[in-house]
Amino acid sequence: MGTYNNISGAEALLLSLIEENVTTIFGYPGGTIIPIYDTLYSYSDKLTHILTRHEQGAVHAAQGYSRAKGGAVGVCMATSGPGATNLITGIADAMVDSTPLVCITAQVPQHLLGTDAFQEADMISMTMPITKWNYQITCIAEIGEAIAKAFYIAKSGRPGPVVLEITRNAQVEILEKYEYTKCTHLRSYNPEPKFDEDALHRAVELINSAEQPLLLIGNGVLISKCEKEVDALAKKIHAPIATTLMGLSAIETSNPLYIGMVGMHGTLAANVMTQKSDVIVAIGMRFSDRVTGDIKRFAPNAKIIHIDIDASEFNKVVKCFIGINSDAKVALESIIQLVHKSDHSEWLAESAKHYSKEFDKVIKNSIHSEDEFLKMGEAIDAIAQECGGGAIIVTDVGQQQMHAARYSKFTNPNSFITSGGLGTMGYGLPAAMGAKLGRPDRDVVAILGDGGFQMTMQELGTIAQNHIGVKVVILNNSYLGMVRQWQQMFFDKRYSFTELVNPEFTMIAAAYGIKSEKVSKREQLKDAVKRMFEHDGSYLLEVIIDSQENVFPMVPTGSAISEQICNI
Amino acid sequence: MENREYIVTAFTENQVGVLNRITTIYLRRKINIESLRVAESSVKGISMFVITAITTEVQIAKVVQHITKIIEVLDAKYYTSAEIITLETALYKVSKSILEPSTSELITRRNGARIVEFGADYIVVELSGSKVEINKFKDELVDHKALLQFSSSGSVIMHREEIDIKY
Repeated sequence: MGTYNNISGAEALLLSLIEENVTTIFGYPGGTIIPIYDTLYSYSDKLTHILTRHEQGAVHAAQGYSRAKGGAVGVCMATSGPGATNLITGIADAMVDSTPLVCITAQVPQHLLGTDAFQEADMISMTMPITKWNYQITCIAEIGEAIAKAFYIAKSGRPGPVVLEITRNAQVEILEKYEYTKCTHLRSYNPEPKFDEDALHRAVELINSAEQPLLLIGNGVLISKCEKEVDALAKKIHAPIATTLMGLSAIETSNPLYIGMVGMHGTLAANVMTQKSDVIVAIGMRFSDRVTGDIKRFAPNAKIIHIDIDASEFNKVVKCFIGINSDAKVALESIIQLVHKSDHSEWLAESAKHYSKEFDKVIKNSIHSEDEFLKMGEAIDAIAQECGGGAIIVTDVGQQQMHAARYSKFTNPNSFITSGGLGTMGYGLPAAMGAKLGRPDRDVVAILGDGGFQMTMQELGTIAQNHIGVKVVILNNSYLGMVRQWQQMFFDKRYSFTELVNPEFTMIAAAYGIKSEKVSKREQLKDAVKRMFEHDGSYLLEVIIDSQENVFPMVPTGSAISEQICNI
Repeated sequence: MENREYIVTAFTENQVGVLNRITTIYLRRKINIESLRVAESSVKGISMFVITAITTEVQIAKVVQHITKIIEVLDAKYYTSAEIITLETALYKVSKSILEPSTSELITRRNGARIVEFGADYIVVELSGSKVEINKFKDELVDHKALLQFSSSGSVIMHREEIDIKY
């Protein structure tokens, strides 16, 4: 508990952040937040502020920072009005992907609230549905408790974003004595639910009786840090492990029990075996429509044991046979003790058969193509080969995201950072920037499309100014590729506004002083990727991709997930 | 799945913004709130929300799951009107013409109705009862072209089971 005398609200705010072990803030100043920035000037030895080029860049960077650090709270700041509203996409993104953030926004002085004052926007109302909690601080006395609650709520239970709005008067008021106490309990909030023992025992019985068990794991496994427990359970009951998009990297790609990603662009093995399984243990995942396909035909043979810290996920989309409301690690530790060791060799052998089929129909053409033009899969594979699965892969949204999800290799958790639930184009570059600042010891590669890159490419300025060693890979097909693919497959090839006439990206990189290279031929690719990793500092590699390439396999909307299309 | 009236009760911290957070959950699913009542519960500082809406059980179950997630919410449950004791209180501003012999029994024979104010050309009648009773009386007054204004409390409820508000 820190005690301070005669300090301003702005100073109380920054001291509170330091008490919460914050070291990095992403932000953008403006009129109403100047008192905080003025105070920040005196705290630059304790708080590193990264000036982004747009507030959206700040919030996505905070998201990338948080996820690369395995769930540390990301912090971003913006001024009132447009500064605050520019954060909204990232806040919504963090909410659906359970990323802990504290977003501090300024507000006009209390006496001007509700008067349509200059740069006044009702951020509290706007962010209510997309935050785990939000609060308007209107006087200095509220600062300590509000910040303590914000951090406690953001990181505990199912994590999520918190917005704190602080009026200008609260920033400049003076408090004679300020004490900061961390929040550890709120009477109306239970972030550590204790599971029902009876439900757990029924789950154990069901797992013991399973003939074709499957573990289906999501982001909750990474949040709970129970990757080892998942692996131990899978080994003991001899069950394959499939992940959602958000669960990628929780299990090493080389794990013999790992059968890949489930869902719309998942592997044949993960999708077909989900449909055939008789007992699915779903851990920290939420049965997104991109995972389930047609809900009525999802996992028709399975009794589902759903382990989640958020009880509202039970039966939200898919009916679960047993719900275990608990932190995944806590529940799994008990389950592992109680389940019998089993042998499901015949069931597990199925995955090889599906992989072989998928290799022939899809993978071979994606990563060992002999076509004239380069494929996205080749670029992803070249990156995976070069970094040996050790890099943090951050993606944008669209075809490159799905190729990155399918062909990246992972050896460590928290190595795949993507906008899963909201599907936010423009996420990749700033999130990668935040990830590199969070984990400077690791290679961070941003995999971007030419569309998504141009949504937030101004953050190259932030990367250059702060010497952030991100490797930026643009897979340029001169299209909004995923939309183009849907237009080709389901809208009679009516390519309505999806073609992009792009600038020379290497020249843009050069303008920021960032070394770059452009390749379009297969024989150039591996060496170019090698040069990118060998370069000390940020690097932009543009890869010209077949403009007509599609992502396969694909489950069309309304189909069961086993009804995958492997080509057109 | 059949649409019917469900009553949601929620115990919350008495704090700014909780009402908005709760109603947003209905809004997101395009469920219209028929009535909403908030008042302090038997515990100081804890508010009790009573919200009625017509929807399916699947939907209301999800609504309640999400209300429960709100940081300031201690507990939330849903009921049909048969499962809890519900009552509404209504005020009816009625034209004095109702007091003519042919129509005055509309009020005098109404169990529980009482006149709470006599105005120059109106009377105000109070009635407590079920929603059906409240609406039936209103409809009768409308039929007699006597109803000038109407106001009701929304559902006031009492749980039959023991309610455990955790601290």
